[in-house]
Amino acid sequence: VQPPEKPLQAEEWNKLREEFQLPEIFEEVMLKSMIRCNSPVDVAKSLLTHVAKRNGDIAYNVLVKYLTLCVQQGQVSEIRDVYDIMKARFKILESGAYNLLVKGLSNSDQWRMALDLLEEVKKIMIPSRTCYESCIKAASRHQEMKLAFELYNEMLAKDVVPTLGVLQSFFDFSRGVKGAELQKELFGILLYLRENQIYPHKTFMRSIKLWFESIPGENWKGRLTKIKDSGQCPVCNHQLEDSNLTEEEYSNLSERVIRDVIHGDDTFRKTSPEELEAFQTFVESRLPFDIVIDGLNVSHIKSRKMQCENLFDAINCLAKDNARLLVLGRKHMLTNSSNWKREIMKEMQNKADFFFAENISEDDPFLLYATLRSGKHCRFVSRDFLRDHKACLSDSLTRHLFRKWQRGHQISKSLSSVFSQQPAFRYDCVVQTTGDTWHIPYKDVFEEKYSYQVPRKWLCMQKKL
Amino acid sequence: SGKLDLDEWKKVMRSGLQEELSETVSEPEELSGLAAARETLEMWRLAGRAVPESISEDQLKTFMECPSKSAKKKYLKYLHLKELYKKSEKRKMDEKRERRQEARDEAAQTAETKKSPFVCLWSSTMDRAYSWRAAQSMVFGQPLVFDMSYEKEMSAREVANTVTQMVLSESCNRRAADPFHIHLCNFREDSLYHREFTRHYRGAWDKLLVTVTEQCYTDIFPKDKLVYLTADSPKVMKTFEHDKIYIVGSMVDRSIKTGVSLARAKRLGLETAALPLDKYLLWSTGAKNLTLDQMMRILLTLKDTADWKKALEFVPKRKYCGFVNKPRKELKKTLDLINTLKLGKRCEGEKQFAKTYPKKYKLK
Repeated sequence: VQPPEKPLQAEEWNKLREEFQLPEIFEEVMLKSMIRCNSPVDVAKSLLTHVAKRNGDIAYNVLVKYLTLCVQQGQVSEIRDVYDIMKARFKILESGAYNLLVKGLSNSDQWRMALDLLEEVKKIMIPSRTCYESCIKAASRHQEMKLAFELYNEMLAKDVVPTLGVLQSFFDFSRGVKGAELQKELFGILLYLRENQIYPHKTFMRSIKLWFESIPGENWKGRLTKIKDSGQCPVCNHQLEDSNLTEEEYSNLSERVIRDVIHGDDTFRKTSPEELEAFQTFVESRLPFDIVIDGLNVSHIKSRKMQCENLFDAINCLAKDNARLLVLGRKHMLTNSSNWKREIMKEMQNKADFFFAENISEDDPFLLYATLRSGKHCRFVSRDFLRDHKACLSDSLTRHLFRKWQRGHQISKSLSSVFSQQPAFRYDCVVQTTGDTWHIPYKDVFEEKYSYQVPRKWLCMQKKL
Repeated sequence: SGKLDLDEWKKVMRSGLQEELSETVSEPEELSGLAAARETLEMWRLAGRAVPESISEDQLKTFMECPSKSAKKKYLKYLHLKELYKKSEKRKMDEKRERRQEARDEAAQTAETKKSPFVCLWSSTMDRAYSWRAAQSMVFGQPLVFDMSYEKEMSAREVANTVTQMVLSESCNRRAADPFHIHLCNFREDSLYHREFTRHYRGAWDKLLVTVTEQCYTDIFPKDKLVYLTADSPKVMKTFEHDKIYIVGSMVDRSIKTGVSLARAKRLGLETAALPLDKYLLWSTGAKNLTLDQMMRILLTLKDTADWKKALEFVPKRKYCGFVNKPRKELKKTLDLINTLKLGKRCEGEKQFAKTYPKKYKLK
């Protein structure tokens, strides 16, 4: 339906309504299209008047639609009127209306009313993140940073995840403002990004940079850069944190992998207790390995080649410098077949240790165990992203540890004709600081596509003395 | 016509309120617990969300116990749909009753008793015949085991679904020409399964012609005769064997927990088998695990006819495109074509094919 351009009389509305296929939802559909076309409020008002006269009442969902239109156009006095009517008419409102009211009022000079509304919402439910977002933005826009941070901390305490927009607004509105307390809070946000492994996008990064450079009395200078493979920042020559886990994190992770990934709630699901024991004794007797290879995964790199040839190439390539290799495979690789030639298998077994799991067992958990058990220097080869194994870990902290460890220890190989190694990251890709430097990885695009991908671009902030 | 008063609706809304307000004077009380939840629901309903019109105290409590917003939404949607189904069911019943009444009235007018050479077989007579067969199967029939040890792996909803499917399977079995002797093994009296069963069968539960036991199947039958049927099995069933005892896991698995029943069989060292779905059907979408009643129908048909094509008719039609009757290369072409037509993408189909018909090493 096309909404009319001018307010209509009752008869005209009636006519339109009768022409519509489903007269019961005519008002709703009409208001929806008004919202889409951003029609003048007066047109909507004339529709409401027509409805009110006909029924003596206006349904809640129609009022909410009207409210949406008012919020869209910033009609503050109308928003207030609708709120008064709703409040008198209904005991409580639902979250959709509250979101709209808070959003509409927070963008006006009556933004304090939005705060009162937020208080009202809290009595009934946990306010949504957009409610908090509107209020926080309104407060910081009016330089009430203390209030904004109070709301922000309250939101975190209630496990409501802040949007990147909220975090960015703190930096935008704190520009050029002096204050030790404020600075501490903003550093707190950067540490929040670090802890949750969130990467800011380009515009957010710019806000951070501008804020740093605007701190009065402190001579911060920001540069955009790419970190060298060695983990050194080309701008300030600072060495980034390395990707190794601490002893505690490391033992924690290996314990969790055994408990959650290998055993899970039933050891028989991925392997069997006998096999696990056999594997453990096998690994313990030959520790430590330098590289653990997922045999089946590697054998599928080039589909034209025989599977055992692929594996053979990989082993030959990795077996330099006396590296101790462990190849994990399944028993079926041992039966002579078109893809697995016995002679080649024999030759490979001279160059590397092999462990063959049962054909119905999963080999990836063994891969993880052997690598973790060998120690920090040990890496593994697989193109698998290991997402399903990450998902078996029970808490998000361990999952983060897993990703960090994976980034530092997985060698995944490219499909190019030459066997090339994509190096594991030597440095850790998170927001980090030394006090007078900050290094912040950022994304070019707003959306983060894959959780295993890390940004290659960095913001280097340096305090010049 | 004349000049429009655009704010007239506000006056109408407010004037209506004056009266209402005077009725309920002492209003602003703090809402608590159930009342508040009920109020919230009412507002959601007014806002046009999928919310049931009436909700019982118990349901309201379940709603409040939902751990997250989306869980709450899902639960409400479920209740809403249930309410809709119930309503339309009731409407249909009423219409049917009316029609029947009309037919009866008409028949009364013509008032003529028809004579038939056949005795009218009432359902009770049929029941007796079925029971007789089921009783025979309990003495001479081939056992079929349902493994009832999956309660821990399921949510309450899944357990309820499982029992519904079991009830359906039992009724198919009873109606079959040569029924199985159904064993419910690992069945505990205090289990959720039991509670659901008694909810379905009521008094008939104790008269059901099936063997219910707390024992494990390995305690009742020789191990080498047992075959655990599971979609995760690496072995594919070739023929139905009449001297084997097949085990079906009584589990509805909405969240696709792979390998749960395979783990069970591995632990007990039992033989496993999967239905040869890929061998006979050109699979298109959906998981390979079938419902319990579909399994039952398939097994019954196999037992009677040993005809895979006939048996696999019971696999839901949406899950496959047709029966396999050509070599694999041609099949791939057909499947590609179907997928390009259906989805408009080519690569997707190839991926699907690789998944359904994996390389040799996986089948091994």
